[in-house]
Amino acid sequence: MIKHREVVKYLKNKKALLTIALAVVAVALFIYCTHEKPVDFNTEVKPIINKKCISCHGGVKRQGDFSLLFRSEALSQTKSGKYGIIPGDPDGSEMIRRLTLKDPEERMPYKHDPLSDAEIATLRKWVKQGAKWGDHWAYVAVKPVTVPDNDWGHNNIDRFIYQQLEEHGLQPSPEADKATLLRRVSLDLTGLPAPPGIAAAYLSGNGDKKAYEQLVDSLLASPHYGERWAAVWMDLARYADTKGYERDLTRPIWRYRDWLIRAYNADKPYDQFLVEQLAGDLLPDATDQQLIATAFHRNTMTNDEGGTDNEEYRTAAIIDRVNSTWEALLGTTFACVQCHSHPYDPFRHEEYYKFMAFFNNSRDEDTFDDYPLLRHFSSADSAQLKQVTAWLQQHGFADEAKTAYTFLKTWQPAINSIQADQFVNSELADTKWLTFRNHAQARLPHVNLEQVDQLIYRYSGYITGGAWNIRLDKPDGPLLASIPVKATRDRTISSIDLPPGKGVHDLYLSFQNAAIKDADVSAIQFDWFYFTRSLPGKGLPGYDNMRQAYWKLLTKTVPVTPIMMDNPADMQRSTHVFERGNWLVKGEEVQPDVPRSLNPLPKGAPRNRLGLAMWLTDPKNPLTARTMVNRLWEQVFGTGLVETLEDLGTQGAEATHRALLDDLSYRFMHNYHWSVKQLLKEMVMSATYRQSSVVSKELLEKDPANKYYARGPRVRLSAEQVRDQALCISGLMSPKMYGPSVMPWQPAGIWMSPWNGGDWVTSKGEDQYRRALYTYWKRTAPYPSMITFDGAGREVCTPRRIRTNTPLQALVTLNDSVYLDAARHFAFRMQQAAGGADVKQQISKGYELAMLKNITPGRLQALVTLYDTAYGQFKQDTSQTSKMTGSDQQHNNPETAALVVVANAMLNLDELITKN
Amino acid sequence: MIQKELHDKRLLKEAEMAVTRMYTRRHFLMESAMGLGALALGSLLPGCGTGKGSNNKIAFDPAHPLAPRMPMFPGRAKSVIYLHMAGAPSQLELFDYKPALQQLDGQDCPPSLLEGKRFAFIRGVPKMLGPQAKFAQYGDSRAWVSEHLPHLSGVVDDISFLKGVTTDQFNHAPAQLLVHTGSPRLGRPSMGSWITYGLGTENQNLPGFVVLTSGGKFPDAGKSVWGSGFLPSVYQGVQCRSEGDPVLFIKDPEGMDRNLRKASIDAINKVNEEEYKEYNDPEILSRISQYEMAYKMQIAVPDVMNINDEPAYIQEMYGVQPGRACFANNVLLARKLVEKGVRFVQLFDWGWDSHGTDASLAIDIGMINKCRQVDKAVTALILDLKQRGLLDETLVVWGGEFGRTPMMENRDGKQNPFKGRDHHVDAFTIWMAGGGIKKGYTHGETDEIGYSAVSGKVTAFDIQATILNQLGFDHEKFTYDYQGRPFRLTDVGGKVIREIIA
Repeated sequence: MIKHREVVKYLKNKKALLTIALAVVAVALFIYCTHEKPVDFNTEVKPIINKKCISCHGGVKRQGDFSLLFRSEALSQTKSGKYGIIPGDPDGSEMIRRLTLKDPEERMPYKHDPLSDAEIATLRKWVKQGAKWGDHWAYVAVKPVTVPDNDWGHNNIDRFIYQQLEEHGLQPSPEADKATLLRRVSLDLTGLPAPPGIAAAYLSGNGDKKAYEQLVDSLLASPHYGERWAAVWMDLARYADTKGYERDLTRPIWRYRDWLIRAYNADKPYDQFLVEQLAGDLLPDATDQQLIATAFHRNTMTNDEGGTDNEEYRTAAIIDRVNSTWEALLGTTFACVQCHSHPYDPFRHEEYYKFMAFFNNSRDEDTFDDYPLLRHFSSADSAQLKQVTAWLQQHGFADEAKTAYTFLKTWQPAINSIQADQFVNSELADTKWLTFRNHAQARLPHVNLEQVDQLIYRYSGYITGGAWNIRLDKPDGPLLASIPVKATRDRTISSIDLPPGKGVHDLYLSFQNAAIKDADVSAIQFDWFYFTRSLPGKGLPGYDNMRQAYWKLLTKTVPVTPIMMDNPADMQRSTHVFERGNWLVKGEEVQPDVPRSLNPLPKGAPRNRLGLAMWLTDPKNPLTARTMVNRLWEQVFGTGLVETLEDLGTQGAEATHRALLDDLSYRFMHNYHWSVKQLLKEMVMSATYRQSSVVSKELLEKDPANKYYARGPRVRLSAEQVRDQALCISGLMSPKMYGPSVMPWQPAGIWMSPWNGGDWVTSKGEDQYRRALYTYWKRTAPYPSMITFDGAGREVCTPRRIRTNTPLQALVTLNDSVYLDAARHFAFRMQQAAGGADVKQQISKGYELAMLKNITPGRLQALVTLYDTAYGQFKQDTSQTSKMTGSDQQHNNPETAALVVVANAMLNLDELITKN
Repeated sequence: MIQKELHDKRLLKEAEMAVTRMYTRRHFLMESAMGLGALALGSLLPGCGTGKGSNNKIAFDPAHPLAPRMPMFPGRAKSVIYLHMAGAPSQLELFDYKPALQQLDGQDCPPSLLEGKRFAFIRGVPKMLGPQAKFAQYGDSRAWVSEHLPHLSGVVDDISFLKGVTTDQFNHAPAQLLVHTGSPRLGRPSMGSWITYGLGTENQNLPGFVVLTSGGKFPDAGKSVWGSGFLPSVYQGVQCRSEGDPVLFIKDPEGMDRNLRKASIDAINKVNEEEYKEYNDPEILSRISQYEMAYKMQIAVPDVMNINDEPAYIQEMYGVQPGRACFANNVLLARKLVEKGVRFVQLFDWGWDSHGTDASLAIDIGMINKCRQVDKAVTALILDLKQRGLLDETLVVWGGEFGRTPMMENRDGKQNPFKGRDHHVDAFTIWMAGGGIKKGYTHGETDEIGYSAVSGKVTAFDIQATILNQLGFDHEKFTYDYQGRPFRLTDVGGKVIREIIA
């Protein structure tokens, strides 16, 4: 080998001989290598293909009918009749021939620089060896990894990290000082500075080795832990308190946020965490909590703009669910497969739609009310609900009991009036509700009337008089019912008995009222129709009570949460490939399935969302665990082991520590049984994590981005943490958990959505000082200070926030009233903590409160100078002091005013808005 | 041609200067404040400051995301003022004169115009509605303009009209998103974000991309039309307001005067310098410079946002109403902003959705009022830019998100209370002026009733491609990698409208 290299080196110096020489070397290498170790497809071949070939011969284009995306495609006959690749025969392979031609019209890559001789040699060798395809590591199941043999640090992480440090001639940094570490780990695990009790216990400890672990355990046990990690997940779930698009009205979905907090605090195993969010509704006897979990995919947007096509936006929501599932849970960008096969990774166009088929049968269809909803009953009502179902069960109506339970809890499976068509003197008002004028008619297509003898429907009557009719099959078909119209105050639920029905029919609805003269006036508006069998057991003891309770529960106005629910068998949608991604151009029909290049659906898994969830959480799934491990790593260390959290595949960034990622992923599943807390604990217990983040010039030059972790993480806090910390340090933060989102102070004029009418009404009392994740999130006008600190808009899934550093961020923490308020209370706290001591003491105490360590003389000097300047000014013009100290007269003096200025400055220190 | 070359040369020179200023300033900062010499200077500098300006890939440096950068080639325009009439003004009452439509007024719409079409609100068979305005031809270019725009008719010789604009989105929010982000769905960066990403900010004391709204509401698509999509959020438009703080949080708290703010930023940076000595992390230096910039921005923004300093004749020319949030004020502000080096100023004026559902949305009442609110100001903008020699390098775009039907709207199949037109995708008018666009030119034509474009058909992508082209970007090469593939503003479409380039 050495000889070869020397030859190469020598020849390279001789420019004149270069061409010949390289050819000779290539041949030599080729001969030499044919009996050498096999070429690795992923590390040697695939990069060449991706860079030089795939844009014309891959998922998007297949020039000359030649594609290098899948082996089967690459080995098949091309348009010219030749074979691009003949395994074992590079000379007979057209692809290899075309790489070396001189004619620019024929030589590949077409119109680009030729491949280097080394690249051609690699490809030749690879074809010679049989053109074996390899799967990208991220698409191969996670296997156990051998831990490197060294003894640095505390756990596996450190062995892997140290191995690479050694390889790069780097040395780990010493452990960070206690105060810095305390602040770091507390911010990482709970998103807040450590509570005083826990902090004092740790800092005053006598160096007991267990002290740090105890600290970590108590932070993991804190209820704030769940809040911190729920906030991360909310970006993935695109959680928002509004529906999005033009009108962007409120959506009551905060119970899902609370579910997340509880799930994290209970350390719900990650596999179960996912199953409940993807398919909680399909679990046997799903609980309310499991149903609320499914709101994960109900955070897609709903379009209420008048004149929009409901099916178009239903489809957009389904597509969003597919894309978000892949990006957030599977670390793969799948969106491009919507229009064509993946350009680089092994996913075919139709596989997108097979995957979409798992989601395409959910009940939701862009209705104004976001049906289906889970109806939340009070405990008294829930008890009554139990009585209703118990009565039915006791009398032998087990199936009916289930049906009644589902209908009372969800008003499903009803037919939404947006399904109507063939309008005459009628219309979908605002494209959301079927509305009748005089002499109206409309059709309700494909209604299953099998065993139906009752219609329950929700509507508003505007004018009393006349009747609406239901006819079978034709506008003048047999009359099924004629129902007098009464004006109602609000939406009302009513029922009508029908003659026992059979089969599936189109129903023609019509309306006449001879008294109405104005042809333009609306008389009745429908929300939904529920064709059912009337409650059984008539005449049996207790029936009337049961029926009464049933109606009371059915018609009661109760709080709701949008949830996932599948269509019943008679309302199934078929799923088709969208030609080139266009939802209006439907191709072949497909059935639910997962991409062939990944693990198959587990045995016995149903072909619905539950089966999909089982597949996703199957330890054979190569992506699920890796994606989550990578995400947690990024949160703790600042950058993922694969930087592109949203794409672990060939187009993502290269993994810095692939073996470590696999080791953690394997143990996450098999040793920690998907416990996120245990995994996080391993991360923060590592010596790698505990290193000081001080960097030397030398190290900065060698590893500017801290890729090899020769120092501790140092990144700016997230938008949520910046707010929460300021509230916490100033003593303002409300510890209140859960509940509807709140509206802390924001400048006037942020909300101006057309056709909306909503107002930002500043919350009162402690609700002004809740943690950031409880802030009401309006998609079209999100809370401005959080957006400035790179918070996500939450319109679509955001798998990764990119941190920026801008002057607008400085303006938030300098001038936003929220931060001024915090500065005031921080100043008051400083004075109190210093107990009447001088300003130096007050500032020192304040610094200690914020940073958990003593202030350095240089820092103190700078802040005291600021105090002196401010004090001088306020002393001279006392009319300004109350503006700085706020409405509380007790603090209205130049001393406090000056200290507020200092507190304001302290809340802006780089070290404060950074995790050191 | 010579003049064009000189112009290009000057733009190039200016961009180079801006990069140099950036370099020098930071260098100075480090030398003076830290005494650290050349430490890590390379890593602090913007990625492409070599003056070659030919890089396809934009070097994104998270520490200095707004550093000025060179375009791909010397552009004709330095900045863009995009005037969006949210709600979509009727082309049939403003520029697209159709006498034949008058003949059909009140008649049933022929079925051929309705077949296979989707409308937002028209149902059944609507009536045709003749032009609700008188038209005349103006200028050497003999451009048709209606009586509703008496001022604008005087500057038609500076304008290129695009009369064959089409779209495929007939609802406001998606159509506005398409115009400004290249996609009807949420999640893509807006035009201004792309441009700020590509060019950075010339004036470090002002945002590079400013948004001004009027009409009492945001555009229907909300802040997403100036959002940064998948680009880093630093590139989103900064909303400047004529009521309240001109930029959110720009005002110091009450009781804190400039002197005190200066002292507090000095103290913050002093402590940050201490921290830098300990940690050596260059991010700290970046933070220091951001605080300096914030301080300067606090002076520069209120200054540029103050229209009271403008001479009376200028105020009168635009028809401003100081102290109120109105379109005329915003137009004058737009001029001031581009004068100070802001790259992209986007104005949204809400209230053009003339359905005829009430008087304010009637084509013959509300829309005339809207015209009165914008006509004078828009005309003043062109004249004012011209007299300052800025029109050549400032591209002005005026338009809505779609057009309006030649039919009278019959919402839900019944007569609307006022005269109105529904949303229409097959033809509308957008005009451009300045920034290297032909003067006194009309491109594209519609059929005799203004229903469909018959020649010179262009889409939002073409307009985007043209805007980028005028700024020095090839829209096909100006990409950002996201979700495993390079994305561009014009998605997979777009062709520069060469016909209107001077």
